Amino acid sequence: MARVSTRRVVFERVTILLITILFLLPVFWLISTAYKPSNQIFSAPPRLTFEPTFDQFRQAFAIFDVVSLVRSSLVISIGTTVLSLLLGVPAGYALARSKSRFAPGFAYFFLAIRMIPAIAALIPFYLLMRDIGLLGTWWAVIVFNTMLNCAFVTWMMFSYFKALPPDMEEAALTDGCTQMGAFLKVAVPTVRSGMIACALFCMMFSWNDFLHPMFLTTLDAKPISVALLTAYGTKDITWGTLGALAHFSTIPIVLMALFMNRYFVQGATNGVQ
Amino acid sequence: MAQISFENVSKTYPGGKAAALVNFNLNIKDGEFIVLVGPSGCGKTTALRMIAGLEDISGGTLRINDTVANEQAPRDRDIAMVFQSYALYPHLTVAENIAFGLKVRGIKTDVIAKKVRETADLLELTEFLDRKPARLSGGQRQRVAMGRALVRSPNAFLMDEPLSNLDARLRGQMRAEISRLQRMTAVTTVYVTHDQVEAMTMGDRVAVMNKGTIQQLDTPRRLYDKPANMFVASFIGSPPINFMEAAVVSHDGGPAVSCGDFLLPLGISGARLSPRIGGKVILGIRPEHLKVAPQSRSTGVLSAETSFVEDLGATLLLHMSGHGIAIGHANMVEDERDLMKTAPKLKALIDSSHRISRGDAIALTVDPSLVLFFDPETGVTL
Ligand SMILES: Nc1ncnc2c1ncn2[C@@H]1O[C@H](COP(=O)(O)OP(=O)(O)OP(=O)(O)O)[C@@H](O)[C@H]1O
Ligand SMILES: [Mg+2]
Repeated sequence: MARVSTRRVVFERVTILLITILFLLPVFWLISTAYKPSNQIFSAPPRLTFEPTFDQFRQAFAIFDVVSLVRSSLVISIGTTVLSLLLGVPAGYALARSKSRFAPGFAYFFLAIRMIPAIAALIPFYLLMRDIGLLGTWWAVIVFNTMLNCAFVTWMMFSYFKALPPDMEEAALTDGCTQMGAFLKVAVPTVRSGMIACALFCMMFSWNDFLHPMFLTTLDAKPISVALLTAYGTKDITWGTLGALAHFSTIPIVLMALFMNRYFVQGATNGVQ
Repeated sequence: MAQISFENVSKTYPGGKAAALVNFNLNIKDGEFIVLVGPSGCGKTTALRMIAGLEDISGGTLRINDTVANEQAPRDRDIAMVFQSYALYPHLTVAENIAFGLKVRGIKTDVIAKKVRETADLLELTEFLDRKPARLSGGQRQRVAMGRALVRSPNAFLMDEPLSNLDARLRGQMRAEISRLQRMTAVTTVYVTHDQVEAMTMGDRVAVMNKGTIQQLDTPRRLYDKPANMFVASFIGSPPINFMEAAVVSHDGGPAVSCGDFLLPLGISGARLSPRIGGKVILGIRPEHLKVAPQSRSTGVLSAETSFVEDLGATLLLHMSGHGIAIGHANMVEDERDLMKTAPKLKALIDSSHRISRGDAIALTVDPSLVLFFDPETGVTL
């Protein structure tokens, strides 16, 4: 390996650090407001030193049912992710292994579904959910997000499976597997990194999604993203309270990303050749 | 143990222009080692995948042990296949790769463990059992692929160019190893290769294929000595055989062939050419059958000029142009381009004790009984 000059390393590190600070500054500001007394939040110039306080958290817990909000968010995003993968992975596999010459066209059609503005589908979907009695529940959002994400997962997994030579599945067939066995025991584990990428994508999309649950859920099924954004501008809710609440909307998804990322890297370095 | 037979099997791929297999007939006996050999695209892999059940059969009948297998699922055939790419399961360790087929078939864990250990011992894989395939060398992967097939004691082994990704030395080693394992287990084996050395050294019988049909199915010895046609003659043997167009003439009351200023009396070995006196014939002379003669312009001596010498160590490979001798008469051969490429010059393989260099004039003789004759119209051996 060529030795990289120290000066260059320092330069790179400093650049990365500056960019990271630039991106994290708003987040830091939001987080820090949660620990400031209300009267110091808008002090100009901003004060870098302050007496940390947990008042804002107390306030947040008093106004919001934080546990229920986080639970809603978790149920909606995990539900969407699981359903999307459950449908999208086999669909992508079927398209990738199909001998029909229409299969790739089909896969791109699925990608196109993901491209349509979700809001165009929201009104008819709203009416549909109302008619079957799911409106206002977690299910309404899960089904809607699954509809969007599953199309994307299908297309993604189509590409992953397409890149996978069919030899291994054929080896599994001669080794005594059924078609289904070859899919579950060989194809699926081999594209694990792709599946984790899809899962991360679905998870983040649903976790941060505001618009759909805003329309499709009622008070008791409301996720934290909706609570956070609708609270903004309300008279008796301060920036500090929002900062405290923002903790609960960022920390779980960051943890989840870190957790899955570990598997992602592991999966990616797992392949042969 | 299994007999496998193809009866008039054909295959046309959807969208494929020419048929990949045409009227393919092959009877593989129980315990036999059959090699399918032929140029790229001749349908070897297609035939092999049909036996495994991985390829649909367009027409004809495939029988495994006297039952029609055309529609049988791969797992009901109990046949093990070694893929050219090895197709190891990347997410499983070597031990799990080898055990996979047994586990799928619901064999008890302790039995599996024992079999895996035995197979690993046999293939010297014991120290790698816990590794993933990504961390193995090409030769080790190849052995894992072999192990995965061996451990199951299947009805038949199918191998698709299993050695083509290995370096020359390892290839030689594994060639002997596979032959040994096959003799030991006596499991019917179909081995695909385009390497004629593998075909000659490994097969009980070798099927030489071209354009989806079998040109000749025979023992390696007979393929070399008595090829059925020009295609087989040119495919078997390395360096490839020399073809030259010659006239059949009468000489001292017997048949002889004449080609430029080379006149070869045939003696008794030419009796079958007597009816053709006055006609044309294609001669096939293997480079290793040409011998250096004392320089002279007598009958039976072929004089030529060396245009290029390859020193192979024990032997010299001479590339020569003969006086008035047309080499490699291509229009009689199935695959014209192949022959034009492989035999544009007269080739001779001689002992390296001869001191011959570029530009030297050289005289060669050949034992007439070793010369092959082909019909110029059909390319069939006379
Ligand atoms: N999936 C496919 N679709 C269309 N045509 C195919 C397909 N697979 C093979 N063919 C064609 O069928 C013919 C035989 O192919 P096959 O793979 O059996 O050749 P091969 O003898 O194994 O060649 P090689 O030595 O290069 O592996 C070729 O002309 C090839 O182009
Ligand atoms: Mg092939």
